[in-house]
Amino acid sequence: MSGHIFIQQPGNAVVTDLGRFRGPRFGLPVNGALDQYSARAANILAGNLDNDPLVEITALDFRMKANSDILIAVTGAPLTLTVGGRPCTQWEPVSVRAGETVAIRGINRGLRAYLAIHGSVEAPMLLGSCAPDTVVGFGLQLKEGTTLLTRRSVGPVRQPYFDLPLFRLGLERPSMGQQLMVDVTDGPDVAEFGGSAELLFTSEYAVSGRSNHIGLRLGGELPERTSSGEVLSRGVPVGAVEVPSREELLVLHRGRGVTAGYPVLAVVTSNGLDVLAQARPGDKVHFRKTTVAEATSAHRRSRAQLETLRESVNTVFGLLGIGCRPQWQDLPVAACS
Amino acid sequence: MSVLTAAPTEIYESGDSALRVVALAEASEDNWLTVHRLADWLESCGAEGLHGAVPTYDSVLVEFDPVLVSARQVRAFVKLGLLEMGRSDGSAAAPRAFDVPVVYGGEFGPDLENVAAYQGISTEEVIRLHTEKTYTVRCLGAPAGSPMMDGPAFPKPVPRLKDPRLSVPAGAVAVAGRQAVIAPASAPGGWCVIGQTPLTVLNIRREPLVPYKPGDILRFRSIEAGEFDSYVGQELEPRP
Repeated sequence: MSGHIFIQQPGNAVVTDLGRFRGPRFGLPVNGALDQYSARAANILAGNLDNDPLVEITALDFRMKANSDILIAVTGAPLTLTVGGRPCTQWEPVSVRAGETVAIRGINRGLRAYLAIHGSVEAPMLLGSCAPDTVVGFGLQLKEGTTLLTRRSVGPVRQPYFDLPLFRLGLERPSMGQQLMVDVTDGPDVAEFGGSAELLFTSEYAVSGRSNHIGLRLGGELPERTSSGEVLSRGVPVGAVEVPSREELLVLHRGRGVTAGYPVLAVVTSNGLDVLAQARPGDKVHFRKTTVAEATSAHRRSRAQLETLRESVNTVFGLLGIGCRPQWQDLPVAACS
Repeated sequence: MSVLTAAPTEIYESGDSALRVVALAEASEDNWLTVHRLADWLESCGAEGLHGAVPTYDSVLVEFDPVLVSARQVRAFVKLGLLEMGRSDGSAAAPRAFDVPVVYGGEFGPDLENVAAYQGISTEEVIRLHTEKTYTVRCLGAPAGSPMMDGPAFPKPVPRLKDPRLSVPAGAVAVAGRQAVIAPASAPGGWCVIGQTPLTVLNIRREPLVPYKPGDILRFRSIEAGEFDSYVGQELEPRP
């Protein structure tokens, strides 16, 4: 059974997914949830596929209500979550009754939160993804009064025994604060910066207010390019660290233009990009050098945690009769006879 | 367009989710063919975990999911692709040709006069050099699938703007360095805008979103400012 969600206070929120992986070939950035770990975790906790559309809430307070019973999960930056005025726990599945208001307030450590709804929501697609692309003018930016179509309704989930919390899934939550440690590997053009490349690891950088999903601008001591000369446009990876001006370091994130003509000093690791997704203006960033092999292992460890979470959620949801697959009671009568 | 042997290449690490492959032949045409053939092969090889490839002039960025494949494995795919493409017969789709009407100068091309002054030639000469050339689309770039092309035969490379514009309109026809481009969508830009086409280049309700692909051919044609409106709403389409 489907229903509707009404956006009462949009703040700064979009419907997105893990990104437009076919986009770069066509000159479009991958985009998608900036903190991929939190986005995946939200969808897994809501019993969805990792790549299902979900709501990304950046910095500002957000409120919505549904006209049917739904199950949600909120991850990402620490915040105050209430449902029908009751305080609820982040990083856990939460039941919402029809008519209750879901309110998200007080994001002040970290920057982005993720709200997934069991069964997900309808969203327009471009090249296989609903992720907004601000350059081509695509995507679902939520406004007051926006109505989202939910694909599935879930009756209220109650703990039948005593009053114990229903879920204790014990997922590792990313740490957030004003001092961020970001792992990078050497970029393909590191040699162009000579000895000054080491400055990246000895300096502290401050996140500028002019940062967004395209890239973060960081103030601090800047490595300097020793060679000059025209650079042909090349494909640049998400996470590329560049020094385009004498004022700031530029770290490209998922909204980056796919080609550019600046040398790539370093590349932020997949896990490091999730850390940067939560950086607020004024936060301090330190870079730490790692290797591609180490970065890959670290990323696989965090994804393995999410797989463990998925198994726990599937077990609990199976016991409660919640699931993405139709349950026996949903089948037509003929199928059971 | 046939290449039987791939140009020599070097593969660089580019983080945990990408590799940069650079072609190192003397001839830029060989490098361009190599990186585009390699990108096509990688796109069609069906290897799990490969997201795709972004080929430009002499390099291709190969993106992958580091949970499904490692950088070392993708390096092996790339080497296999470089061998395999040498065995293919090298036939490629015939290039299509596009005719692009452009209003040069004035409000449509605010940098035309500066470009002419820097080159030490007249604005008419800039327009003549820009319209007389047949351009090959080298790659699709930022923003929004821009057709990146080798620039017109100006005496000198064109410096980028010291102060990039916060917004360049869709259809802007621009030059920088030894390159030329059309902007399919409005975006910030540091290239010199010498004109604007009234045609719609990008259509997000259609796949592909832009009508040209690498290897296709473009020509610019000068039209009067008064004709601009009569083209508005028409899409850029290949010549029949």
